[in-house]
Amino acid sequence: MSVEQAVKTNYLNALKQAIDEEMAADSEMICIGEDIANLGGAFGVTEGLVDKYGKWRVQDMPIAEECIVGTAVGAALTGRRVMAEMQFIDFISCGFDQIVNNLATFHYRTAGEVPMPVVLRGPAGGYGGGALYHSQMNEGWFCHSPGLKVVCPSTSYDAKGLLKAALRDPNPVIFYEIKELYRRKDLEEELPTTDYIVPLGKATVRRSGEHITLVSYGQNMYHCYQVADMLAKDGYSAEVIDIRTLVPLDEQTIMDSIKKTSRVVVVNEAPRTCGFAGEVLARVCENAFEYLDAPPARCTRLDTPVPWVKPLESFVLPSVEKIYNTCIRTLKY
Amino acid sequence: MSIGKKLTETKKLPRHSLTREDYLEIFKQLFLARYFDIRLIKEKKRGRLRGTLYSSHNQEAVLVGTLYALNPEDWISPIHRDMPAFFLKDLKSGWNNPERKGISIEQIICQVFGKVDAPGRARDNWSHIGSREKKIIHSTSMLAGTIPVAAGVALSEKMRGSDTVVVTYNGEGSTARGDFHEAINYAAVKKLPMITVIENNMWAYGTHVSEVCNTPDVADRAKGFDIPGIVADGQDVFDVYDKMSQLVEYARQGNGPSILECKTYRAYGHGDHDDNRADKYRPSEDVNSGRSRDPLAVCREYLVNENILGKDDANLYMADNKSASQASDEDFPEEVINYLKQGVDFAINSGLPEAEEGGMWVFKE
Ligand SMILES: Cc1ncc(C[n+]2csc(CCOP(=O)(O)OP(=O)(O)O)c2C)c(N)n1
Ligand SMILES: [Mg+2]
Repeated sequence: MSVEQAVKTNYLNALKQAIDEEMAADSEMICIGEDIANLGGAFGVTEGLVDKYGKWRVQDMPIAEECIVGTAVGAALTGRRVMAEMQFIDFISCGFDQIVNNLATFHYRTAGEVPMPVVLRGPAGGYGGGALYHSQMNEGWFCHSPGLKVVCPSTSYDAKGLLKAALRDPNPVIFYEIKELYRRKDLEEELPTTDYIVPLGKATVRRSGEHITLVSYGQNMYHCYQVADMLAKDGYSAEVIDIRTLVPLDEQTIMDSIKKTSRVVVVNEAPRTCGFAGEVLARVCENAFEYLDAPPARCTRLDTPVPWVKPLESFVLPSVEKIYNTCIRTLKY
Repeated sequence: MSIGKKLTETKKLPRHSLTREDYLEIFKQLFLARYFDIRLIKEKKRGRLRGTLYSSHNQEAVLVGTLYALNPEDWISPIHRDMPAFFLKDLKSGWNNPERKGISIEQIICQVFGKVDAPGRARDNWSHIGSREKKIIHSTSMLAGTIPVAAGVALSEKMRGSDTVVVTYNGEGSTARGDFHEAINYAAVKKLPMITVIENNMWAYGTHVSEVCNTPDVADRAKGFDIPGIVADGQDVFDVYDKMSQLVEYARQGNGPSILECKTYRAYGHGDHDDNRADKYRPSEDVNSGRSRDPLAVCREYLVNENILGKDDANLYMADNKSASQASDEDFPEEVINYLKQGVDFAINSGLPEAEEGGMWVFKE
C-alpha cells in the first residue's frame, strides 16, 4: 500500500479548482474575460481550462468591460451560469453601469422572472506596490447596490468553498480575490477531496478571545492575527472574526462576539468614508449599543487613493501598528 | 447609401415572397402602431397613463418592417421609442393568440398604466420590460446598454447551435456610447447573429445627428467593424422589410452581425413633456420635410400601385398625414380600435401591486 503525499493547495489553485469543478458539473456554464483562455489569466487562475472546455466555453474577450458584463447578463438571461473575470478588480469601474443598473437589478425589476447566476471575480487589494489602479478594494460601491452579493475569502479553503457557492448561487456575486494571497506559502493547505462549499452569508470566528473583537476580511485578517498576538503579550485576548461575505452580512456572529467582549475594532483597507467598516459600526451601534464599553472603532485606509511607492502606500493603508494602536485606545477607553 | 461589401445584391426582393394577406397585415400593423400612440395621448389626458410618452408617430414603418422579417423564436430588445414593438413582435401569429412570441396588448396597456398585471408587475416604467419566454430582452434606461446583453444572448444561442437572430433597437444618438461599439466589435469578432437597428430620427432629444456623428450615414460606423451597414428608407415599410430580411438571412447563415440604419423623423417632442420646446429648437423646414412622407401614405400608395388595395379600398381609413389631434376613430380599421379597447378595458380593471412588493425580489432565495 502506497502512502499518498498530502497535496497542499494555495489560494490561487483553490480558486482554479472551484471553477474547474463547476465547469465540469455544468456543460452550459461559460467563463469569459480578458486573456483568460490563451494566456490562462493574468495571474493564471484559469490556466488550462481552455484545453479542457474549449474556446467557446472559456472565452477571451476584448478589453471592453461593459461588453463583458453585458454579455454575462445576456448569457444568464438565456439560462446559463457565467463566470466573468475582471483582469484587476480596479477595472470593474469600466463595467460599472452594466453591473449596478443591469445585472444587480434584473431579478428585482422582472419580479423574480429572471435570476442572474453570474460571478464577477478578480484580483484585488493593496500592499503590493500596485499603485492607484492595481490596488483597489472598491467593494463598497457594490455593497451599496442592492441585488449584488459581495464576497472576499482570506484562506485557500474559503477561496474554493466560497467560489463554488458563489457559482451555484442564483444571484450575481462580486468576488474579491486578494492577489497578495494568491501564492502565499503559509496559506497552502490540504483541501477536502470531496465536493464542498462554504455557504455565503456566514462569518467565522478565527480566534476566540474575551477582551476585544476584531472584525475584518481579506488581507487585513493577517494583520489582525499579528495584532492579536501582540495584545496577548499585553494580557488581552482578542477575538478575530472573518466576515467572508459582506452582503449578506452575518450580523449574528459579530453581535454575539461583542456581547462577550464589549469592545470592537473593524479593519479594512478601503477608504474610510462610506466604507464597509462604517456599515459594520452602524449595525453594531444599532444592535449592540448597550453591550459596548467603548466607542466602536475602525482602522481603514485614509480617504486617499492607494499611492505607489512603499512609504506612501504604508502611510495610507491600515498596518499592524495602526490596528494595534486603535485596539489599545479602545481597550483603555 | 452604403452597402456592406459582404452582401450580394439580389434581383428578387424579399417582399416579392409575401402573400396578399401579408401585405394587408403589414398595412394594418402600421395603423395599429399609429393608433396605439394616439390612444395613449388620449389616455394621458384622462390621467390613466403614468409617466412620459415617447411617441413613435411617423416611425412605425421601422418597427413593423423589421419585426415582420423575424421568426417567432428570434429575440428583440426595444427601447423607449419602440413601445409598439412589444406587441408587434410575432403579431402575424394571431393578434389574440396567447402562444405567440410577443406580449399581449392587455399586458402592454397595464405597463403604461402602471398596473400589477404588467410584465414585471409595474416595478419599472415605460419600455423597461421584457420576457424571457417571449424572447424580449429587458432594457434599462441606459441607452445602448442592451446591445452587450444582446451579444450575450446571441453568443448563448449560437453556442446552442440554434439559428436564432437577436435584434437590438437604438436611436442614432445612442450609437455614440461605448456599449454600442464594445458590443458590436465583439459580435463581429465572434460572428454573432446580432442585428443593430438604428432608428435615425435625426434628433436625440435636443441635438441633431450632425452634431454627434461624423460619418455621412450612421450606418457607416459598421465600416470600423468590417460588417454590413445598410441604410433603409425608414418611411417605406417594404424597403425596411427587404433590407432587414437580407440581414436576418445573413445572420442566420452564421455570417455575423450587421447594422441597419432606418432614416426617419421624430414627429413630436422627445417625450410629451418636450412637445412645446421641440417646436422651438427644431427649424420648421426641418420638421415639415421630416414629416412629409407619412409611412401610412407611402405604404398605401405602394399597395394601390401594386393592385393589392383595390379602388374601393384605396381611400378607406385615412389616418395618413393626420396629427394625433386631427385623427379620429373613423380613420382607423375597427379591428385596430377594438384591439386597443380590449387592452385598455383590461388595464382599467387591473389593480396596483401591494406596497410590500417594493421590498421583494432583490435577491432570489
Ligand atoms: C446613457 C444615457 N444617457 C442619457 C440618457 C437620457 N436620454 C434619454 S433619451 C435621450 C435621447 C436619445 O436619442 P436617440 O438615441 O437618438 O433616440 P430617440 O429618442 O431619438 O429615439 C437621452 C439623452 C439616457 N437615457 N441614457
Ligand atoms: Mg434619435
